Amino acid sequence: MKELSESLRDLEEEKVYTLVEKYVNEKLPVLEIIDALNEGMVAVGELFSQNTYFISQLMFSAEILKGVMKKLDPLLEGQETQDARKKVVIGTVKGDIHDIGKNIATTLMRGSGFDVIDLGVDVPAENFVQAVQDTGAKVLGLSALLNFTYPEMKNVVDAIKDAGLSDQVKIIIGGAPVNEQVRKFCGADFVAADAVDGVNICKKIYG
Amino acid sequence: MPADNVKELFEQRLGRYQAAIALEPTDRIPIAPGSNNLAEVYSGNTNQQTIYDPEKWLQAEEVFMRDFPEVDVLRNNRFYAPLYDAVGCKTYSMPGRDLAPGNQIQFNEKEYMKADEYDRFTENPGLFMYEVFLPRALGEFSEAGSMRTFTAALKGGMAYMMAGQVMRNRATILEQKYGMPQPMTGAFLAPFDVLADAMRGLNGIMMDIFRQPDKVIKACEAATHEIANFALSIGDPFKRYPIFVPTHKAMFMSPDQFEKFYWPSFKKTVEILIDAGYSIRAYLEGDWGPHLHRLRELPKGKVLCDIDTPGDIYKAKEILGGYQCIAGGVDDADLILGTPRQVRDAVRNLCETVGKDGGYIISGGCHIPYDTKPENFRAMIDAVMEFGVYDASIAPKPKEVNVEKIHVSELDPQKMVTPWNIKKEELGGIQGDEQLIRGPWEQLESMAYNWIWQWVF
Repeated sequence: MKELSESLRDLEEEKVYTLVEKYVNEKLPVLEIIDALNEGMVAVGELFSQNTYFISQLMFSAEILKGVMKKLDPLLEGQETQDARKKVVIGTVKGDIHDIGKNIATTLMRGSGFDVIDLGVDVPAENFVQAVQDTGAKVLGLSALLNFTYPEMKNVVDAIKDAGLSDQVKIIIGGAPVNEQVRKFCGADFVAADAVDGVNICKKIYG
Repeated sequence: MPADNVKELFEQRLGRYQAAIALEPTDRIPIAPGSNNLAEVYSGNTNQQTIYDPEKWLQAEEVFMRDFPEVDVLRNNRFYAPLYDAVGCKTYSMPGRDLAPGNQIQFNEKEYMKADEYDRFTENPGLFMYEVFLPRALGEFSEAGSMRTFTAALKGGMAYMMAGQVMRNRATILEQKYGMPQPMTGAFLAPFDVLADAMRGLNGIMMDIFRQPDKVIKACEAATHEIANFALSIGDPFKRYPIFVPTHKAMFMSPDQFEKFYWPSFKKTVEILIDAGYSIRAYLEGDWGPHLHRLRELPKGKVLCDIDTPGDIYKAKEILGGYQCIAGGVDDADLILGTPRQVRDAVRNLCETVGKDGGYIISGGCHIPYDTKPENFRAMIDAVMEFGVYDASIAPKPKEVNVEKIHVSELDPQKMVTPWNIKKEELGGIQGDEQLIRGPWEQLESMAYNWIWQWVF
């Protein structure tokens, strides 16, 4: 299994597919295979944090994982791969239709075992509130690329407060135009410097 | 010293801007952001009005210049939305059409070129655009041979001319009535971004560089001459202003990937344009930190680099100081959310550090945001006037430029769908002065061919 984690870490696409096929044929437990893949994804995240990998490598690792999961999903037969208790609601705020950053964050979080509810782009505040209420998530991630979204991020934070959900959920903002000043303006709990940082914040929140 | 007439003011502003780009001494740090978005909405205009109503756009800037006469350039290269409507361009969502009127133009990224189509592109890029890309990316072009598609092509050509007229009229009024030069004229993309932006999309291209690296490199090489000729067709004929290049995908790449896929064809394109007598204004989107040193390989003082918000202007100065002029440093969040005091302190610091020895232009992260508080913009200007003066006795003057068309041996000739020799053969010989017929024929052929390439933006 270590070989599988390492080949995903090293982005050896063909080798990952071959190994997974071999393990499946050997009837190894699917959840163990998935654990090894997740380990590989965590290693990719670490390389990213060390500036060895860049976003291109994060994206390719996610692509390989997606390809493998297509084969593994039918074998799961209802077994949960993600911890249903670790829910994260995420979306790009209203007015902004960019999804690259959000998608990368989503993939990495799923790779770390979070159950991510992705609301898409151009998401109105009420949809965030509804999703947090419905899922009981402890983390809400707001993504944006454009700097005119600061007031909209604040609007979502206020809506969460007004709905009485502040005690339940922590709000993380992320994306190119956000920083500590923007976090304070919005009243969000955290600002993520990048997708890997976002995953680490989620881990901290869920303990 | 205040300029007492418009021409003098124009020359001062342009001279100051050109001197900073060329790393030469001038009187003060230019106030020359590449995209002054605030100027478009300061009067109360919506973004829809800017892109649909050229008169409203100009009126907005008149109000802005009245209140901020110290600025040295406004923005250019604005979208003229009727052109995009005429052909049903799917790559953009437009304010007032698909988005709220106050929202801003947003790019829609899709795979308009498939992963297995590289060979077809590389073999004949122009034909690929015509046969494959345009019918997919332009909704009005989807039924080849239909009257609707034929009309759309006609409308698209006419709207292209109208857009050119809008930009020229505006530039002339700004110059002759207000003494206001342009930050840039014309634009191009790095060949890698030609493929990555509107054709393959970020996800597609990032998979391609792992799965079919050689094909990506060959396609970039094939796109180089197409995009260089395109840029020359719309650059400032008087060569006063830089040609603009927004770089998009380099920020996602490792230094090794950048060196292999992005840099060679980008460098070549930029060198061709510089050899043709132009300077370049490059918007370095995201954090170019790992790639910045590459720009030292280009001719000194020819590439003005806009450092984006996630980038580090101080590091950029360290790397590019003495090689290329840099612009930026004023935090977008400071302009939108901060106080005048905060902006003043930040700008003072920039003037005294990165701006100290010239080769620096004050700007936000590639632009002045729409939501900038006017009092913060005022604070930025006042701080430059107070801390950004080098030598008030210098009277900036524009550079003398050779406006003759320079032949660049490294550049393949402009392609045409029906080159003159074929047409001449079809005509069976020319009875009078051949050049009188050939000149306009080739001019129109070139314009039509270059028209195709604007859609990769």
